[in-house]
Amino acid sequence: MSRISDAISELHKLDMEADKPGWLQGIHPLPKLFVTVLFLVITVSFGKYELSGLLKLGIYLIVLFVLGDISVKLLLKRMKVVLALVCLMGIVNPFFDRREMLLLGGFAVTGGMLSAATLMLKGVYAVSASYLLIVTTSVEEICYALRRLHVPKLIVTVLMLVYRYIIVLLKETERMTEAYALRAPGQRGLDYKAWGTFAGQLLLRSMDRAQTVYDSMMLRGYDGEFYLRCKRAAGRGDYLYAAVWSAVLLFVRAGSAG
Amino acid sequence: MSILEIENLSFSYGNPRGKLLENVLEGIDIRVAEGESVGLIGENGAGKSTFLKLLTGLLTLKNGVIRVSGFAMNKENLKAIRAEIGYVFQDSDSQLFMSTVYEDVAFAPRNYGKSEEEVREAALSALRQVHMEDKVDRQIYRLSGGEKKLAAIATVLSVGAKLMLLDEPSVALDPKNRRNLIRILNELPGAKIIASHDLDFVYDTCQRVILLSGGRIAADGETEKILTDRELLEQHGLELPLSFSRE
Repeated sequence: MSRISDAISELHKLDMEADKPGWLQGIHPLPKLFVTVLFLVITVSFGKYELSGLLKLGIYLIVLFVLGDISVKLLLKRMKVVLALVCLMGIVNPFFDRREMLLLGGFAVTGGMLSAATLMLKGVYAVSASYLLIVTTSVEEICYALRRLHVPKLIVTVLMLVYRYIIVLLKETERMTEAYALRAPGQRGLDYKAWGTFAGQLLLRSMDRAQTVYDSMMLRGYDGEFYLRCKRAAGRGDYLYAAVWSAVLLFVRAGSAG
Repeated sequence: MSILEIENLSFSYGNPRGKLLENVLEGIDIRVAEGESVGLIGENGAGKSTFLKLLTGLLTLKNGVIRVSGFAMNKENLKAIRAEIGYVFQDSDSQLFMSTVYEDVAFAPRNYGKSEEEVREAALSALRQVHMEDKVDRQIYRLSGGEKKLAAIATVLSVGAKLMLLDEPSVALDPKNRRNLIRILNELPGAKIIASHDLDFVYDTCQRVILLSGGRIAADGETEKILTDRELLEQHGLELPLSFSRE
């Protein structure tokens, strides 16, 4: 399978995982999105040397990964590029901030090391929390929850369409690269001389496909807004989920501030 | 009673400078009765796709009159007309853009402001009509080509379309799925216009055939009469359906 097919397949797998029955999948998208956003806000609110508080916040991820039966291995596989980039953030901090902050078994931990670790952990937390949301909630449900949180419809529609059109774009790219590879046997990748034409053709073909999809939407009464609904209304359990997690997260944050 | 009335329809595409090119369609007069199945045939470039796009308002009407269920084709009536007409694209992948079959079939009724209960009823009824009630929650990408075509038909049935336009519905279907599609189309009570090069398919699904040639109606009549007229078909760049040419 080509890398493009892999990417399309991964997107489909994410859709499927979000749709499969499970405890976390069963939580209404609105409290799930609210708790995720709260977690992200609290994560970024920690100061650059507040590593211990940040570590305690990890309980949210651990509990959800365990209870939701979400594979950490898959997270690492799928998010390896993003996680690598996230880990690169702050890598130069130890060179600039050499103040000794504490001693760990005779080893001097500098402010740079601490801030680098905090920054990396914040990145890893953000990626993991977003992944948890995506893998347990479909795009339609996330968009529904965003609208309920009064995010402007333009932003939600763009998000929804970007997700759909990514697949259209990937499929067109795959068709074109396959057609190219079949007529250029033995050649690895795309010759640089063909890059311009390839990109131009890809743009035109994608626009063509996108226009057809748009026509199909217009013919079915689309007027600029996706009328997204959730499979069920939020129940007591969903509110409890939001309340318990909000309390835990705020408690961890308050405890760290003290 | 006619579901579709077309009088003196002409259409030409404009070039980038706004100058109109030669007419793609000229002097088209058609009436389609409720429940009637009409095959639209003609060689490539005869104007079939342009004709279908004009009926749905995807192309702007410049000359002539189109009335769908009594609504004259104009900007104000477009939404009402689109609730009466369902367009099934040749490429089902372009038509199905939501993640699951249910979400896609429910898309149109939701846009027409129906309650969630009505949406569910309409979607399930549409899926029952194409015998796909067991695939309600199936992911779109996991459907076969034949199932995608049926799901695409369900997406237009769910809004209660009284006239269905199908563009090359039998393309890329294997014999079994093709036979299944013929059976389902024959079961559907609404009017249909089926644009196709597959004359055998048209023969099996339509009582009436309109032959377009050079943007004009070259023949309009009973399917049997037109599709067995070798001279007429050859005169307009077509051939007898395979099932007749073998005899």
